[in-house]
Amino acid sequence: MNEPQRVVVTGIGVLSSIGNGVEEFTSALREGRCGAGPITSFDTTGFLRTFGHEVDGFRPEQWIHRLPVEQLGRATQFAVAAARMAVQDAGLDEQELAGLRAQITVGTTDGEAAELDKMMAESVAKGPEHPADQLVAGRLPSHQLALAIARELRLPRAVPAVLGTACAAGNYAIGDGFDAVRSGEADIAVVGGADAICRRTFAGFSRLGLVSSDFCRPFDADREGLLTAEGAGVLVLETLESARHRGARIYAELLGYGLNCDAHHPTAPDQASVARCMELALADAGVKANEVDLVSAHGTGTPTNDITETRAIREVFGDNPPRTVALKAMLGHSMGAASALGAAASALALAHGFVPPTVNHRTTDPQCQIDCVPNHSVPADLRVVVNNGLAFGGNNASVVLGRHDEELVR
Amino acid sequence: MSPSTIHRDAPLITAWSAVSPFGLGREAFAAGVGRGEPAHEVPDFDTRKVLGKAGTRTFDRATGLAVTAVRELLDEAEAAQSPIATGGGTALVLGTTLGSAHSSAGFSRASFEGDKPYDVPAQLMPNVLMNGPAAATAIRFDLKGPNTTLAGGAAGGLLALGYARRLLAADRAERAVVGAVEEQSTTREWLAGLAEQPLGEGSVVLLMETARTLPPGRRVLAELLALDVRLDIDDDPARALADVVREALDQAGATPDEVWAAAVTGQPARDQLAALVGAEAVDRVPALFGDTGSAGTVFSLTTVLSLAEHDPTATGRVAVIASLDHQGLAACAVLRLTGGDR
Repeated sequence: MNEPQRVVVTGIGVLSSIGNGVEEFTSALREGRCGAGPITSFDTTGFLRTFGHEVDGFRPEQWIHRLPVEQLGRATQFAVAAARMAVQDAGLDEQELAGLRAQITVGTTDGEAAELDKMMAESVAKGPEHPADQLVAGRLPSHQLALAIARELRLPRAVPAVLGTACAAGNYAIGDGFDAVRSGEADIAVVGGADAICRRTFAGFSRLGLVSSDFCRPFDADREGLLTAEGAGVLVLETLESARHRGARIYAELLGYGLNCDAHHPTAPDQASVARCMELALADAGVKANEVDLVSAHGTGTPTNDITETRAIREVFGDNPPRTVALKAMLGHSMGAASALGAAASALALAHGFVPPTVNHRTTDPQCQIDCVPNHSVPADLRVVVNNGLAFGGNNASVVLGRHDEELVR
Repeated sequence: MSPSTIHRDAPLITAWSAVSPFGLGREAFAAGVGRGEPAHEVPDFDTRKVLGKAGTRTFDRATGLAVTAVRELLDEAEAAQSPIATGGGTALVLGTTLGSAHSSAGFSRASFEGDKPYDVPAQLMPNVLMNGPAAATAIRFDLKGPNTTLAGGAAGGLLALGYARRLLAADRAERAVVGAVEEQSTTREWLAGLAEQPLGEGSVVLLMETARTLPPGRRVLAELLALDVRLDIDDDPARALADVVREALDQAGATPDEVWAAAVTGQPARDQLAALVGAEAVDRVPALFGDTGSAGTVFSLTTVLSLAEHDPTATGRVAVIASLDHQGLAACAVLRLTGGDR
């Protein structure tokens, strides 16, 4: 048995519909920008609703120097680019990185499903006898998302893993990195989530009637559903000792996390289980419910999620729950990247002292009894933030972040 | 700061089962290993016949295989009067390559072939997601602990073991059911093109526990002494394999002459492994199922455990379970074979 190390966030890489890179992302969170627009990644002809959140202005060659960019799928490009950003943001050069044991865990829902969509379009057009393009087929194994990071950053001793725990995958990955670093198994963790928008998942949510006609409006009485999105969020985690030794800037401390499974229904969330997940995370972090200043909710903007999650939050935090925001109003639902972007936003909120808003908000649903900080960010002296990720399959993951008091940013 | 502690004791493998090309359950698997004749497809596997009609209507093959493998594990433990607790203390960690390629492709195809692009079978959407099999297994057996699907290709099974080890070390579960699932399908064959080895399928699961939570009377089959990963970044995959095997043996405090059995899956690399740990150890483990993706390493391990069951000379010696994928990722686990005791 050993005392675990304290783990801090020292680098953030972000690709999102509201901005790429930590600075642009931070301003967008503060301004309450919304990244929704007509989907352009695939042909939306015939769909009744056609909005989504796409990453604009992404130039992969800006971040990917070694791997042949054109041979990587878009989700893999996102993962690698965000990892490169995060490592640079952490002030780690390649020489420093080379000798480190790194845990590289990336969460994803769809992996390179957009590539499979393209193969299927071709197969439908040319017939089933048409052979699969082996170059494209080689992109499909989801492991590529982590492997490509290790290869691009030249980390031969990295442990690359991809977690396919659907829409909670980003938080799962961050938790895995937390355990690897605090136990000393890894010197550093490069962890988060990445997903590229894809037709098949959009079609699925459309069929389920969960796609909004214009914007995503979490906790709103008139909310219609989610908007699918793409993006990536990657964090660099290291021990507090290592960060101090390097003189690294510390965004926040990762205090703990919780995982559980509803084991109840393939798609419908279970209130008691979601509450239990947050309780596990708080216990792991050694934080009491009344010490939490903000919840970054899963908050998809679907009727079911928002009611169930709000009730679970009230179950954990009581009748005066902390402010609870849903970043998906700004970011859309970026699937496996969602909770990783949520964790990045939580770290930035702690570092800079503000609460990002729940935008597109009109009237709060009386069944969602929380203060969702509608439309405008507010300055706030935050100490502890809980970031939720919930998924189809009942895979829940909550991450707890705390302000690091020693060296606040700027 | 997190109040908990980190445990350093070696995780124990205390039970296993499989749905394999040799049939359902551990005995069928062990019998097939005894015969030593290769097979690739799980014979006569009809999910609804095997698992019944309740709650299985939307299961795809991968889900059916995974649920059945865990059912076999739980039932066999029950029959051996050494039952496995379910509920919140039990994690499930399943390796995969890309989930069910067949379900994903079918769903996508429906969007292109239907009258409307959203004419997709929404009730099958959970199958399109990689976590479909793990989620369905959790529902079936009330596994409420951490439920993780890990995509790792040929290294997937070993990466799942490493992930489960981290969960237990941090007290996130008392025990973990850990393994992998890969299904055979026309889509997987289509995607594989002219693959160098036949594709195989199945689901294989281990029970990983620790001395802290071991119920009385449980047999300990192996101890996971070390697990390491190495990525080839210099176009020399054989060296990555050699490095990772040496490093894992070193971490385990074991020498090559202690190795009783050794196997490598993914790229063909038996000769390279034999050069490291001796041909006798490698020859002891037959390659039986072709390319079973993330399940390959776990099948290697259960093959070794089956063989060790009937060979008392294995006890106290070491198994080396390795993988080398086409991207040059090498992984290696070193386990001490304990012959059913501690």
